[in-house]
Amino acid sequence: MDRRVEAATTRADVAASRDPADAADAAVAIRNVSKTFVARAGSVRALDAVEFSIASGQFVSVLGPSGCGKSTLLRIIAGLVRCDPGGEVMLLGAPHDDVSDDVAVVFQTHNMLPWLTVERNLRLAAEVRGLPEADIKRRVEALLPVLKLEGFRHRYPHELSGGMRQRAGLGQALVLRPQVLLLDEPFGALDALTRDQLNVELLRLWQEVRKTVVLITHSIAEAVFLSDRVLVLSDRPGRIIEDLRIDLPRPRGPETTKAAPEFGAYMLHLNRLMGVR
Amino acid sequence: MALRPLPRAAARLGAEAVSENFTTSALAAGGGDSARWRRFVDPAVMFVIFAILWEKAVDVFRIKAYLLPPLSKVLQTMWTSRDLLLRESWITTLEILQGFAWAMIGGVLLAVAIHGVPTVRRALYPLIVVFQGLPKIALAPLMVIWFGYGTASKVLMAFLFAFFPVVINTLGGLAGTSPALLEHFRAIGASRIVTFRRLLVPSALPAVLDGARTAMPLAVIGAIVGEFVGSEAGLGHLILDANANARTDLLFAALVMVSLIAGALYLLVELAAKRVWWRAL
Repeated sequence: MDRRVEAATTRADVAASRDPADAADAAVAIRNVSKTFVARAGSVRALDAVEFSIASGQFVSVLGPSGCGKSTLLRIIAGLVRCDPGGEVMLLGAPHDDVSDDVAVVFQTHNMLPWLTVERNLRLAAEVRGLPEADIKRRVEALLPVLKLEGFRHRYPHELSGGMRQRAGLGQALVLRPQVLLLDEPFGALDALTRDQLNVELLRLWQEVRKTVVLITHSIAEAVFLSDRVLVLSDRPGRIIEDLRIDLPRPRGPETTKAAPEFGAYMLHLNRLMGVR
Repeated sequence: MALRPLPRAAARLGAEAVSENFTTSALAAGGGDSARWRRFVDPAVMFVIFAILWEKAVDVFRIKAYLLPPLSKVLQTMWTSRDLLLRESWITTLEILQGFAWAMIGGVLLAVAIHGVPTVRRALYPLIVVFQGLPKIALAPLMVIWFGYGTASKVLMAFLFAFFPVVINTLGGLAGTSPALLEHFRAIGASRIVTFRRLLVPSALPAVLDGARTAMPLAVIGAIVGEFVGSEAGLGHLILDANANARTDLLFAALVMVSLIAGALYLLVELAAKRVWWRAL
């Protein structure tokens, strides 16, 4: 068992683990994506020739130090920011440079409108997209129990705990039934206990719906616990310095997965990569 | 996940419960631990003490009635001249309300245009900043020359006084919309109109009401100033008239009416502002 873990952490294996999936049937494929921000004080290169593809239904985490361009990468995939010319973003096999119903984003701070109840906040995106009323109702009714927010549908965001708000934020993204879910440090502002709890819930949710997920995080444990694959970005300008497959069995759970010896080995390897000793 | 029990106030459902809860807590914060009734009784007691002092001081120091009439005389005049006072008050109130309404409509529309259209912003915003600094009071004679001695010039003065705070506050409110929420609306593919209606309007509303709060007393000043400069009716006219005839009692009666009107109108704005309970979140 130890040998396998060691093997997984060698360069050769890393190269082999790079998904051979053709860009055409990958859920997300980006090629040569760079991003330079031009400011008065000079330009900043946030991303440098980033390339990867993510198979449909995969859970991928992007790990990196703060300020390495993780969030920019996510915004580019979401179609909220354009990459520099020469780069390409493919979504479900088609080029993509604008927002789309197939992608939804959850940001670190929840996106609920303070003047709407939880239920009306969940409806918002679907209403904006002009879905038929019956459809909106069905989707929201299906989401509320999954998010454990049934008893809180008439509450306002400020009446919820931080964890509930982030679950509602997840619901805001799920209501459009996107193929790809982008999570930008969704639990970053929460305390450690709530965060662990929500990780378990996110895992359960993902195991049910099996959407493609890209999770931006700077928590190594979170990345290893949740993902099929972890991409590590370097300090600015962000480049991919590691593409690590996490071969922990599924379904995962906090007790089984975190107790596995491989879990520790993956953590150690990623810790070293990110310069934490 | 164990859902933590919510506090008593939050357990009540619906917007009404929330806004009510918000109001009472806001008031309690001002009044310390004292009961609700003290908010009304304390100022009333203060007023009675003040009234007795006024009445006695005039008597003891033998102050001449044309300088300071006793309070009893003012109240008596208010009763005997009630028709006159109410008629003039009504005229002034209408001028204030019209000026205020136009200031709100025009101010919000202009702010929206400045916020939404870069050309309008470039062309108009500097002019507004410059014009805002001009003492509006200096325009009163011009308004009378242009629009005559009737109500139009007073409505315009009230408008001029009230307009700028509405524009500036609304602009601040629109610009203060959370960038995260704006990005969220972009991510869900909301059009500019939908973003405006569902995000910018509710998010700027507290600031618009702050503008209204500043604008209302200014509209009162504007109308009175307009009446001072040239008019045939209204409380401002009555004040000048009473002054010319050494009717200090009537002058005081008119001042009381102005205060009552200003207070009542301000209270109306406050009540409207209380409905926007998410301002403090």
